[in-house]
Amino acid sequence: MTLAPVDYLLLFLYFAFVLVIGFLVKRKVATSEDFLTSGSSVPVWITSLAFIAANLGAQEVIGMCASGAKYGIMTAHFYWIGAIPAMLFVGVFMMPFYYGSRARSVPEYLRLRFDEKTRTLNAITFAVMTIFSSGISMYALGLLFQLVLHWSFTASVLLSAAIVLVYTFLGGLTSAIYNEVLQFFLIVLGFAPLAILAVLKAGGWSGMASRIPPVMTHTWSQVRHASENPMGVEAFGLIAGLGFVLSFGYWCTDFLVVQRAMAADSMSAARRTPLIAAFPKMIMPFIVIVPGIAAVALSRMSLGYAIPAKAGGGLDYDQALTTLMAQFYPSGMLGLGLTALMASFMSGMAGNVTAFNTVWTYDLYQGHIRKGAPDSHYLWVGRVTTVAGVTLSVATAYLATHFNNIMDFLQLVFGFVNAPLFATFLLGMFWKRTTGHGAFTGLLAGTAAAAATHGLTLAENKGGWLGTVVHTFPSTMAQNFWIAIFAWSACFLVTILASLASTPKASSELHNLVYGLTDIPHDSGMPWYKRPAPLALAVIAAVVLLNLLFA
Amino acid sequence: MSDLRRPIGIFFSLSGVIVAVTGIASSHRAPLESANVNLYCGIAMLVFGLVMLWLSD
Repeated sequence: MTLAPVDYLLLFLYFAFVLVIGFLVKRKVATSEDFLTSGSSVPVWITSLAFIAANLGAQEVIGMCASGAKYGIMTAHFYWIGAIPAMLFVGVFMMPFYYGSRARSVPEYLRLRFDEKTRTLNAITFAVMTIFSSGISMYALGLLFQLVLHWSFTASVLLSAAIVLVYTFLGGLTSAIYNEVLQFFLIVLGFAPLAILAVLKAGGWSGMASRIPPVMTHTWSQVRHASENPMGVEAFGLIAGLGFVLSFGYWCTDFLVVQRAMAADSMSAARRTPLIAAFPKMIMPFIVIVPGIAAVALSRMSLGYAIPAKAGGGLDYDQALTTLMAQFYPSGMLGLGLTALMASFMSGMAGNVTAFNTVWTYDLYQGHIRKGAPDSHYLWVGRVTTVAGVTLSVATAYLATHFNNIMDFLQLVFGFVNAPLFATFLLGMFWKRTTGHGAFTGLLAGTAAAAATHGLTLAENKGGWLGTVVHTFPSTMAQNFWIAIFAWSACFLVTILASLASTPKASSELHNLVYGLTDIPHDSGMPWYKRPAPLALAVIAAVVLLNLLFA
Repeated sequence: MSDLRRPIGIFFSLSGVIVAVTGIASSHRAPLESANVNLYCGIAMLVFGLVMLWLSD
């Protein structure tokens, strides 16, 4: 694939605009809270789009298209059951505690609700994980640009990291969030035409369905048993593992996304952020997954198009997206499509960097290294951390060269660290008897259970490092879902037992932190589209409809 | 910043014009697509950009 001058013009126009937004926002940054939490001042339509854009990194876009080509429309489970229900839950049921507690971060909520050690454990694992996923995303992008455009890996990694660094350094979280909105629109306008053109060329949905195995155009009809579908998952593992544990663990507790909602300008706006975001989120499969399915159909139509082969055998599904672009976009739209890919990478990376910043500055630095300094000091630390976060991400990108399937690896990390976390929050927010010792012990037990499950089971030659193999899963995806289920259950049980064995906090200390001791705003008198419950019902209706249409 | 819709509107209007003009000026087509993708997508982006500008304060 070669680019024309007009393609570079569009790419540099985009670079110029993200930097301009950074400079425009810089004027508003006066305190550390402006820089690290946006001073709770962002309008709801902006936080909503940022909420999904921060999650829509390059590995998401490339990986979802690859999964579409590999597994078909079943990949939409990662959206329709693996994201939407959890987004509703965090908006309707959890945001009153996050926003109402006035915590500046998710780990800080854990300190207010439980204790310092639970906060620190969460802050450290979160900080490491954000840098890790930021680095992996950068690696994926550098590799792809090297492969497709023959750009130097180092040059594309350093250039894109430098631009993210400049705009997050200037305007902090607000700058990242504002740019995420631009990036979201760019991703949609850059990829949607590709999906439309590829599907039309393949003969529409029915034309596609006639050329590929039926399992690739159905989400639910072949999940009774793991052997029926290419993902190797069965309905219970799918619903409990992905739909409940992994999904709720990510969307309800991951500070990267929760931070966007917490930046909203009111409690009502914070609650509506994930609910409004759910509408574009449920449409994303048509933009990122469907092109992958179309790629498979097109490769069977003797048009001269094929998904490239991997050096070691098999197909390189990660190239499905870029090879389609080369087939359907002339110079001009091709530049815009690649700019959209660059934008998805930047939104994911800036999301990681800004979340890392806040957690490092408030939870680790202010919590442990230097308490009680003037605010200007923490603003300075926040800026320095931006530089450190980007540098560490670049270093991780160079370390990430060993991992093949990015998606599966990320799922594994989520399984070990994030899966038990949702049990902690669920109990912490809805059972006031939960104690700090209980939460901490439960988290350790959950993570240990995750590691043990992985060590005792085998799937596609992964896991089984504890020596004995008690079970073999049909796929690593099924293994990850079950790791999550065991981790969550262990954390849930141990937290309850350890809480009953230790002394709870007095009710007076739990005001605005726990259900029953918090005033939940009901927004009566507001029009329906500004109230969480009716919005949530509209989301449920739409997502049920999508599941039925593609069942 | 007064309104985020303004820079977004300017960005997409500019990109839309660049892409649409490329479509008019060049007869180059993508390998699998005979339609003038640049022209149509450029116009769509321009319209989106103008709507954003119109909505901004």
